Amino acid sequence: MSEYRVTRRSALGSNALRSERICISALPEGHVIQVMGKEGGPDLGAFLSEKIGGGAKFAVRIAAPFQWYVVGDRALSPEETDTMLDTLHPHAAGVDQSHGRVRFQVEGAMVERLLAKGTGTDVSVEAFPVGHSTMTLIGHIAAHVTRVGEHAFEIMVLRGFAESLWDDCARMAQEFT
Amino acid sequence: MTSYRLDERGLIDRHTKLPFTFDGKHMTGFSGDSLASALLANGQQLVGRSFKYHRPRGILTAGAAEPNALFTVGRGGRTEPNTRATMQELYRDLEAKSQNRWPSLEFDIGSLNSILSPFLSAGFYYKTFMWPSALWEKLYEPLIRRAAGLGTASYERDPDAYEKCWAHCDLLIIGAGPAGLAAALAAGRAKARVIVVDEHAAAGGTLLWETATIGGNLAADFVTQTLEELRSLRNVRVMTRATAFGSYDGNVFGVLERVQKHVPEPVSQKPVERIWRIATKVALLATGTEERPLVFGGNDVPGVMMATAMRAYLNRYGVAPGRRTAIFTTNDSGYVLARDLESAGVNLVAIIDSRAGSTFPYGGKARVLRGAVVTDARGGRLLSSIDVSFGRRSENLKVDSLAMTGGFSPIIHLACHRGGKPRWSDERSAFLAPETTRGIMLAGAADATDGLAGCLANGAARGAAIAQELGFRPFPFEPGIVEGDVPAAPARPLWSIPGVKGKAFVDFQNDVHRKDITLAVKEGYGHVEHAKRYTTNGMATDQGKLSNINAVGLLADARGVAPAAVGTTTFRPFYTPVSFGALTGAHTEGHFQPIRKSPLHEWAKKNGAVFVEAGLWYRSSWFPRRDEATWRQSVDREVRNVRANVGLCDVSMLGKIEICGKDAAEFLNRVYANAFLKLPVGKARYGLMLREDGMIYDDGTTSRLDDGRFFMTTTTAYAAGVMNHLEFCSQALWPELDVRLASVTDQWAQMAIAGPKSRTIVQKIVDEEISNGSFPFLGAKEVSLFGGQLRGRLFRISFSGELAYELAVPAGYGESVADALMEAGSEHGIQPYGVEALSVLRIEKGHVTHNEINGTVVPADLGMGKMVSATKQDFVGKAMVSREGLVSPDRLRLVGVKPVDPRASFRSGSHILTKGAAETLENDQGYVTSSAFSPHVGSTIGLALVRRGPERYGEEVVVWNGLSKEFTPARLCDPLFVDPENEKLHV
Repeated sequence: MSEYRVTRRSALGSNALRSERICISALPEGHVIQVMGKEGGPDLGAFLSEKIGGGAKFAVRIAAPFQWYVVGDRALSPEETDTMLDTLHPHAAGVDQSHGRVRFQVEGAMVERLLAKGTGTDVSVEAFPVGHSTMTLIGHIAAHVTRVGEHAFEIMVLRGFAESLWDDCARMAQEFT
Repeated sequence: MTSYRLDERGLIDRHTKLPFTFDGKHMTGFSGDSLASALLANGQQLVGRSFKYHRPRGILTAGAAEPNALFTVGRGGRTEPNTRATMQELYRDLEAKSQNRWPSLEFDIGSLNSILSPFLSAGFYYKTFMWPSALWEKLYEPLIRRAAGLGTASYERDPDAYEKCWAHCDLLIIGAGPAGLAAALAAGRAKARVIVVDEHAAAGGTLLWETATIGGNLAADFVTQTLEELRSLRNVRVMTRATAFGSYDGNVFGVLERVQKHVPEPVSQKPVERIWRIATKVALLATGTEERPLVFGGNDVPGVMMATAMRAYLNRYGVAPGRRTAIFTTNDSGYVLARDLESAGVNLVAIIDSRAGSTFPYGGKARVLRGAVVTDARGGRLLSSIDVSFGRRSENLKVDSLAMTGGFSPIIHLACHRGGKPRWSDERSAFLAPETTRGIMLAGAADATDGLAGCLANGAARGAAIAQELGFRPFPFEPGIVEGDVPAAPARPLWSIPGVKGKAFVDFQNDVHRKDITLAVKEGYGHVEHAKRYTTNGMATDQGKLSNINAVGLLADARGVAPAAVGTTTFRPFYTPVSFGALTGAHTEGHFQPIRKSPLHEWAKKNGAVFVEAGLWYRSSWFPRRDEATWRQSVDREVRNVRANVGLCDVSMLGKIEICGKDAAEFLNRVYANAFLKLPVGKARYGLMLREDGMIYDDGTTSRLDDGRFFMTTTTAYAAGVMNHLEFCSQALWPELDVRLASVTDQWAQMAIAGPKSRTIVQKIVDEEISNGSFPFLGAKEVSLFGGQLRGRLFRISFSGELAYELAVPAGYGESVADALMEAGSEHGIQPYGVEALSVLRIEKGHVTHNEINGTVVPADLGMGKMVSATKQDFVGKAMVSREGLVSPDRLRLVGVKPVDPRASFRSGSHILTKGAAETLENDQGYVTSSAFSPHVGSTIGLALVRRGPERYGEEVVVWNGLSKEFTPARLCDPLFVDPENEKLHV
C-alpha cells in the first residue's frame, strides 16, 4: 500500500480561543525529545541547547531532576530523530515523545489568573520568571508548564488528556472572554 | 414594628432603592443594605423561629455569628437555605423566606413545643425514645428526622458555576478592619506581596460604624483613602466578600469568595462562589472580637440585640433599633453606643451597668443603673419590657429594644485549626490564641489590643515587622491621631445572673438554655466536649461563636472550677458554612474527571463504537451494526469474525514504558520473576512481575529493541503503578544500575490485528517480509510502513489466541494507519472489535487479566509456576513466593468452568460449591473470576480460582450466586477452551 498517503491527525487541530484578555491556541505538533541523564550527572541544559536545541529560545526545559525536554515547532523525520538521539550518547538517553506530548499556549493579561484556577504552583513572574518550567497539576491533569513571555505560558500535556485539558482551560478562561 | 430607618446617617445609597420580599411581603431597602438592616428598617423584627421550642426570634448580630436570622434565599435551583441575613447583601428583587415555622412565622404550630419544654430538656431524646423498640425505625426516627434540621435544600439543578483558585503571597491579612488595613499599608508599602481578605461586602470592619476620627478624618473616609492607596499598589490585593474558613498545613488558608451572591442574576461566565487556597509565608489574623451575649431570662425575645450590632445598624445602615431603647452592659462599650444612639435622636431609656463601681463619665440623658442587671426580658414577638434588679430592688422598664454586651472575646479560630490549644486569660475572661502559632500572627483586637488607636498602631507595627522579617525594607505607616475613641477595657465577666425567671439562652441556634448546662453537669457530662454533645451547645451553622464562652463560664460555675480548667471545644474548619457547590468547584458533569482519549478514538467513533469508561480512558466497547438489537449480538459477531477472518482492536491504552541503559536487561531480570537477561534483540517475552510478598503485581510483554533498549507493555489499569514501581526499583533498590525509564504510553497508537487472515493484511502495509519464518511468534521489531512513509513497531503477540500482530505507530498517524488496515482488510472481512470481544477471546484462551491477578495469587495459582526462575540470584518477590502458605496444594488455582446445561449461565463473582454441598461459606471451594458467553463453545464459560482446581477437571460442581440465589450445575475444566495446543499462534 505504498500508494496510500499516511496523514497525521493533530490532537487539538488548529483550535484557538481569543479575546482581549486571554488567548489559548494550539501549537504545532513539532518535536519533543525526552532526555534522561544519570542521577548525579552534569547539568546538560547548555549542551542540549547547543547540540540539539539549535540554540532556540526555551527549546530546552527541565522535565525532572536530571531530565529535560527538547522542544521545537518542526516535525522531525525518523532519521533526524535518530541523529538527535545519537548525539546524546554517552551523556544521556533519549526518547521521542513528539506524538505523546501536545503543546498549547495560553497568553494575555489574565493568564496568571487563569492558571491559578488550575495549578497550585505560584506562577507570578517573581516566582516563575520567563524561561522557567515545572511539572504540575492543572485541575486533575498533569502538565508541563513553561513561561515563554511575561504574559504567556506554554502547556505541554499527554496527548490523551490534551482535549480534556483544553476544555478545562477554556472553561477557566470564560470569566475573561 | 418599632425599628425604623433614620432620615440620615449611614453608608447606604439612599438614591438607589431595592425592592425585595420577605415571606412574600413586599419591602424596600437601599443599596448598601444587608438583608438584616433592610428588614430592621422595614420594622421587621420577628425573623425566625428557634430550632427546638419554635420561640420567636429577632436579629441578634450584624455579622457572621448570627444564629437567628437564617433564611431561605432565592428560588428554583438557586434556593439556598440557612442564609444569614446579616451577611447577605440586599439586591433587587431578592426573595427571602423564614424557616422552621408552619403555617407562618407569626402563627407557628411548632411553638407548642414551648409548652412542652419541661419534657424537652437537653438529652431528652436519649431518654424518651427508648421503648418499645419496634417503634425506633418506624415512628421515632422518621419523627425526629422530620423535626430536625433547619431549612430545606432544593432538589433542582443548581444552574450556577463554582470554582477553586490558588493564590500565593508573603503576607495574608485576614480581616480588613483597623488593624488589618494598617498592617496591609505597612507591609504593602514595603513591597511585600500582600493579600487582604474580609468576609464582609465592604472592607473597613468596625471603622464602618466608628464615630471616632482618625487624623481629623471620619473613620469611613480613612477606610476609603486607605483602600485607594492599597489598590494602587501592584503587590497588594484586597478581597472582600471573602471568608477565611480554614487554616491548613503548609500555611495554606481556605477562603470562600462570594463572587455573585449579591446580584439578582449571576452571569454565566463567572462563578457564584470561588474557593481560594492561599499559600502564604505569614498570616496575620486581624479578625477582631466577638461580643458576648448576656444570659438573662428572655434574652432571645425579638428586640434584644448585641450592642455592637445595634451600633452597626445605627451608624452604618442608618437604622434605629426602636422607640424606647435600653442598654445592658458589663463594660464601657455600652456608653459608646449610648452616645451614638442619643446623637441619632433615639430615645434611650436606661443604661444598666452590672458594675457597681463604674465611673464612666456619661453625660447623656438616660438613667444609669449601676450595679444592676436585667433579669428578664418580656414580650412575645417583640420586646415589651425588661425586669431590672439592682440591690434589693427591682423595676420593670418599658422598652422595645435592648442592647446587651458581656464583653469581647478575640476571634482566634484560624490560629487553632492546626491543633493549637487556646489559652485562657483571666484578665480578659476569654480564650487567647495559642502561644505558638506556626506561620500565624495576630493583630489588633484579636491580639487582645483595646481601642481604635491601639489597633491601628498594633496593626501597623505588625505589618512592618513581618515585612522586615521577610526581607523587605520596612516603610513606616502613621495612621494619625485618633479622637473620640473609647477603649473598652476588659471587665469582670457576668456568666450567671441572679434572679432570672424565664429561659435564659446560652446557645440561641440550638435552644440551649442555662439550665441545660447545669443539667449536663449533674448528669455527668461536665467535660466541655461531653457537654457540647449532650446539650448541642456550639453546634450547627454558627458553631458556638456567641455561646461557647458563656457555656464555658456556666460550666465552670456549675463544676466549681475556673474556666481555664474547663477549657474549650476544638476549633476546626469551617469557620462559617461552605456550600457543597464551592467545595466541588468546577469538577461537575462533563468536567467531573478528566477524559483520556486514545489516538484511535476518532477512528473508533467513525466506525460506530460504543464507548465505555475504563479508568479515565474512553475505550471502544463494541461496534454495533444496524441489524443487531443487543450488545451480545455485536460481541458474538466480533468474536466469530476474529476466529474466522480478522479483526482490529485499539490497544493503545496499554501502558508502555521504554527502559534504556546498559543495565536495562539486568534491571528487567530483577523486576520480573522470569528470565529477561538473555532475551534476544528482536524478541518479545511475556513477563510476570511480583510484589515483594510474592503475589503477582502485573503482567505484560516486554520486547528488546536493541541491546540497551526495551519496550514494556503493562496492563491499562496498572500503567502508572508499574511506572512508579520501576522508578522505585531504579532509584531506591538498585541505584547502581544504569537504567532510564520513560513512559511512552501516549507516544504510540497501538492496534491488535488478530485472526487467521491478519498476516495477509498487515503484510500489505509493512515493507519487510513478515512470514512465519522471517517473523515468528514473539517477534518484535521496528518496521518500515507504506513504502517508507512511516516507521512503526511490530510485535507478533496474541491475546486472542489467533495468529495476531500488534502494530504501534506514532500516535498522530494512528487513525490513518487504522483506516489503511481496514481498507486493506475489507476484502478479507476485517471488522473492528472492542474490549468486550477482546475479553471473550481471552477468556476462551484462558488468558488472565486483573480479574485473576487480584492481589491474592502467585504464579503457580495461575498455572505459571514454571515461569518463576529457580536459577536467578534475585528478583522482586523471590524471597516470599516460596512461603509455605503460597505453595500449599490446597490453594485456589485457575480452572475453566462451564455449565452442564449449555443454556444455563452464571456470573463472575459467583462461588463454587461441591455438588450436593450446602450453600455456606464453609463449603466454599472458590469463585468465578471472569465469565462470558463463548460463541465458540456455545455456552457461558468462565475462569475460576478453585481449591486444587487443576486436579479437579471434569468434576461437576455448583456455581452459587448468593446474591440472586442462583444455583447452576457446572463442570470444572481446562481453562483453554480454544486451541489448547496453541497451534494457531505459530502458523
